[in-house]
Amino acid sequence: MKRQIPLILCFLFGVVMLLTQFSPHSLSQGIYEEVLNWARIITPFALVFSTITLLQTHITRIRRQTEHWQYSFLVFGGIAIMVVVGIPFGPQNPVFEWLFNNVQLPMDATMFSLLAFFIASAAYRAFRARNLEASLLLITAVIVMLGNVPVGDLIWNKLISLTPWADTYANGSSLMKQWILDNPNLSARRGIILGVSLGVISQSIRIILGIERSYLGGGD
Amino acid sequence: MLTKLVNMDRRIVFILVALAVIIPMLFPISLPVSISEPTQNLYEFIDELPADSAIMLVFDYGPSSLAELNPMAKAILKQCFDKDVKVVGLTLYAVGTTMGSDLMKEIAEEKGAVNGEDYVFLGYRPGIELVILGMGTNIADIYETDFYGTPTTELPMMENITNYDQIELVVDLSSGNLTEAWITFANVQFNQQIAAGVTGVIISQMYPYLQTGQLIGLISGIAGAAEYEHLIQSHAKGTLWINVESFVHLLIIILVIIGNIAFFVQRKQEE
Repeated sequence: MKRQIPLILCFLFGVVMLLTQFSPHSLSQGIYEEVLNWARIITPFALVFSTITLLQTHITRIRRQTEHWQYSFLVFGGIAIMVVVGIPFGPQNPVFEWLFNNVQLPMDATMFSLLAFFIASAAYRAFRARNLEASLLLITAVIVMLGNVPVGDLIWNKLISLTPWADTYANGSSLMKQWILDNPNLSARRGIILGVSLGVISQSIRIILGIERSYLGGGD
Repeated sequence: MLTKLVNMDRRIVFILVALAVIIPMLFPISLPVSISEPTQNLYEFIDELPADSAIMLVFDYGPSSLAELNPMAKAILKQCFDKDVKVVGLTLYAVGTTMGSDLMKEIAEEKGAVNGEDYVFLGYRPGIELVILGMGTNIADIYETDFYGTPTTELPMMENITNYDQIELVVDLSSGNLTEAWITFANVQFNQQIAAGVTGVIISQMYPYLQTGQLIGLISGIAGAAEYEHLIQSHAKGTLWINVESFVHLLIIILVIIGNIAFFVQRKQEE
């Protein structure tokens, strides 16, 4: 029964919501609106569950004293401070805003900024023309990198001005980048989107029909 | 020597990147900007909107992407306030709340726009697709109050705005895949016009939607932000940073070329 009731609910809601998309009747649209309202009420509980899961994970880390377990206390400290300030006084509270603008914002921005350094180092090591495929990747990357910044067109225009085709092929660097995005990139992306969409549809049908049950947790 | 060059200490690369960022920041230069078609399309769409029409500006990003997306948001807000186009700001990303609110206030003060009359900031609600779908019926059902606690129905600007029917365009500034949610649920279900401003790493994902017309325009990373600033003739951080980025890209290309030369010479010697 513990597994059958969720499976029945999933089937009923899945089929009903699917049918509402094909019927503009007021009853159908009323059901659709009502279910959306329910879903909007249920969704915030996911935030509560995610917080509980986070706390459980870090309590386990402290108990088992895994590597860097001491940092888990910082997680508790951070959550406690933001909750104590944020929940009673709201996000417009000056202390909450100060904490966001002077702690979270610079730390988050710094973490992401570090990527530039690692990408530069990784590009130096990885972009080697070892074979045809790697050479194609390397050439494409160089074209897109140059075409994406103004200096690319500046260099191109300087070089092309030495030839008789200066006017015909101006801004060639950004035009080549645009061609790569508009053609090979677009074709590959469309293939990926179609593949993923078909996968999502088939997985949804499996879930609605109760064939795929992993979302219920545990073994089948 | 060659082995050293091929296996260059990454700390040297880090120092070179730091210099390529710091020096152009200290001594800024102005490089010519070419306007890409997707950026031009978005600019023209907003430029042709009549006064008192409304757009929705969505801050779907956090601090990690503000360097790329804040300049876009500022440029779009400046254009809208200059043209008396109303802006409904909101976010589907919890961390975007304070940033969106501060940014709208900053540009509104600069342009003399009034909260509640020229713009509103509705804040955050959880449940991405549910929020997008719900606003198709009634925005005030999803956002009973704005970010500052004023009931949405009491905001003068929202008197004539009920749902997407009164919104000319949704501009989603996103660092993840939320633009795809806007396309799926707002464009497909409600025929809402969508444009996007995205970080450099997800530009390529957006091109299929540009071709189908599901996106009417696209601002691509910091380069797109610089293009938009150029179009509204208000050069700010987007322009500064794309020039800085130019030097970093050049440095990486030079490093890749040096690495490849060293790699081939070493391989030849080994043979």
